[in-house]
Amino acid sequence: MEQQQPDRRMRLRSGFKNSNLAQAWLVLLLALVFGSALAAVQVNLGHVIEANKVNETLEKIPELVFGADAARKLKQRQVPIEITPGTIAVEKDGRKAYYKLFRVTRDGTPAGWVIKARGQGYADVIELLIGLDDRAQTITGIFVLEQKETPGLGNNIGTARWRSQFVAKSTDRPLVVVKGGAKRPDAIDAVTGATISSRSVTRIVNRTIEDLRGRLIPAKIEFSERHG
Amino acid sequence: MTDTSNKNPVVSVAPSPHVFSMEMTVPVMMRDVLIALVPVVATAIYFFRWYALRQLIICVLFCLAAEVVFTRMRRRSLSLGDLSAVVTGVILGLSLPATAPWYVGVISAVVAVGIGKIVFGGLGMNIFNPAMVGRAFVMIAFAGSMAASGYIDATSGIDMLSQATPLSAFKQFGTAVPLSSLLWGTTNGSLGETSALACLLGGIYLCVRRVAAWQIPAGILATVTVVGAVANLVNLHSQWTVVHHLLGGALLLGAFFIATDPVTSPVTAAGKWIFGIGIGALVMLLRLFSGYPEGVMFAVLLMNALTPLINRWTIPRPFGGV
Amino acid sequence: MADQPTPFERFIQGILPENPVYRQLLGLCSTLAVTNGLKPALTMAGAVMFVLFSANVIISLIRNLLKPHLRIVVFTLTIAAFVTIVDRFLAAYMYQMSKALGPYIPLIIVNCIIICRCEVCASRQSVLTAAADAVGQSIGFGLALCSIAVVREILGTGMLAGFRVLPASWPSWTIMVLPPGAFLTFGLLLGLVNWIDAVRSRKKL
Repeated sequence: MEQQQPDRRMRLRSGFKNSNLAQAWLVLLLALVFGSALAAVQVNLGHVIEANKVNETLEKIPELVFGADAARKLKQRQVPIEITPGTIAVEKDGRKAYYKLFRVTRDGTPAGWVIKARGQGYADVIELLIGLDDRAQTITGIFVLEQKETPGLGNNIGTARWRSQFVAKSTDRPLVVVKGGAKRPDAIDAVTGATISSRSVTRIVNRTIEDLRGRLIPAKIEFSERHG
Repeated sequence: MTDTSNKNPVVSVAPSPHVFSMEMTVPVMMRDVLIALVPVVATAIYFFRWYALRQLIICVLFCLAAEVVFTRMRRRSLSLGDLSAVVTGVILGLSLPATAPWYVGVISAVVAVGIGKIVFGGLGMNIFNPAMVGRAFVMIAFAGSMAASGYIDATSGIDMLSQATPLSAFKQFGTAVPLSSLLWGTTNGSLGETSALACLLGGIYLCVRRVAAWQIPAGILATVTVVGAVANLVNLHSQWTVVHHLLGGALLLGAFFIATDPVTSPVTAAGKWIFGIGIGALVMLLRLFSGYPEGVMFAVLLMNALTPLINRWTIPRPFGGV
Repeated sequence: MADQPTPFERFIQGILPENPVYRQLLGLCSTLAVTNGLKPALTMAGAVMFVLFSANVIISLIRNLLKPHLRIVVFTLTIAAFVTIVDRFLAAYMYQMSKALGPYIPLIIVNCIIICRCEVCASRQSVLTAAADAVGQSIGFGLALCSIAVVREILGTGMLAGFRVLPASWPSWTIMVLPPGAFLTFGLLLGLVNWIDAVRSRKKL
């Protein structure tokens, strides 16, 4: 009788020792601690990361409409530039496309548009910002937001020098890509060794302009809150 | 019984090149390749003048220098006498465009011999064709200067003529070069690829001398003909015909001089057919569907990688063996 | 306990004699992927140092509570938590770098160097030894990354950490900043390290 008591306790204890809870308490505790730590990090940094993403686009907008130098001067003189984001739905040939765009005004007068556009590149999707003047007649600048083209070749589409070719091009006719020196007014010189990437960018620009031709009217656009 | 076993000898696979005749030593084979290259080199120098000469001299010189330096580093006996470095240099030079700057030749030569050959253990041990390894390196490193863009018109005396190579001109503008200029070589391109006639002449000599296995070029040319014909039938209006596919670009130079390298191609006859057909198919795949205008180099390198596997598949079974 | 390594010994061993990249050939995925420039290489080295240090210290603290068959779960959990923290910090304060490094920061979770150090060192040694080991190994990893990155960035772009070090006429070897350049550079540097080693051991004899 006396010996049965410790035996049962032993069995109980070893039963507890072998139970899943006893085995995994450390894992569960660590998961809890790390989970709360990560939640705290996310709460503190989440809005900073979101702001980074928005700012990346917003920062580029003035120079795409006014040009880099003019945008810097306007900022120095603290001319108020208003950027109003919006979306536009385009239905063409049975397909529906949505464009995110930004209307830019300077001192209250309309200055231009910046449109976000994306399309297939050589390696992956290329995302562009395309700046147009107020009446959408000339391109005022382009910027490459996202690209994974070949380093050293295709990723040269992001250089200011290559992008500057698009500035002041007319939107009347689609642009064409040529190799070895652009001579015609509607020609874009391809990046050496990266004709496909150059063509992709030009095609995205052409398609966006074609889609939005005659549609950049404030009444047709759904605007959300503006950024000062 | 003994008769049949003599006809089907057991093939033991050892690093090539293999001795199948007492006169066929490595230096003799290499000398034959150099003789076969004479018409190609001559047309290259005729059309591209001193640009060609300069490119060839740079490539040969630095291939030899790299061979000396790298064999010294590995403390092996000098192997300059087998002429293999000279052949690599000449083929490399012929595969570069005339206008490529000097450092392109230097770097490709050092990479060809150093990384393409010696790193693997020297002649006979390399997996990839050394000249093509060197060319692939500079092709990716200096894509801009590898696009051929200048040649000297030997007949009209106009000095520098900037024009696209026939294949890239076709890819970009859809215009085809007349067949006669592809045949004679009065067009732009890498040094050795412009004249189809010169490549054929040298190539046939190589096959007759049995330095190059005829099955490989035959396989390549047959496949290109078939695929090119199908492509033609699909797109009847294309100006780029099967004959353009056969004579244009580096196809003939590659088929006769580059793919037939005994070290990096299969040893058995069946294997050689598979190898040739594979290269032909890959060339056409790259030409028709890729962003590159020409695909001979990548096709050869890819099939080089498959060569050990092809060898394994095609080892003939000895008579009565399992 | 006489044969236990001292903290200083662990620290020194990690840098060169037991260099994680050149000697143990660990963590090669990130070694090859992020060394096309000095800046991403340094960022990666910093991130790995933070994760390795934190994971080693925590594992060492709880080493007596570890159940043998659940230890890998605990290692992975700890490492993943710190990697996520690093990833969020980079996205918040070094946004461009975080975009450039892409998936390679989250991939630190599967970097063998860290789980190897947790298993080999931290789960057996005192906190101080584990911490010194983490710092030594991280410095070794950082040195290896930088050595590859310097070669690749200078040859591939003529620049170092974004500053031009070679004249603008330098023909950039594009291949060096592409994946093949990573393999070639790593192979050649590994050969060089082995050669130096061989020469040194021959001199000792």
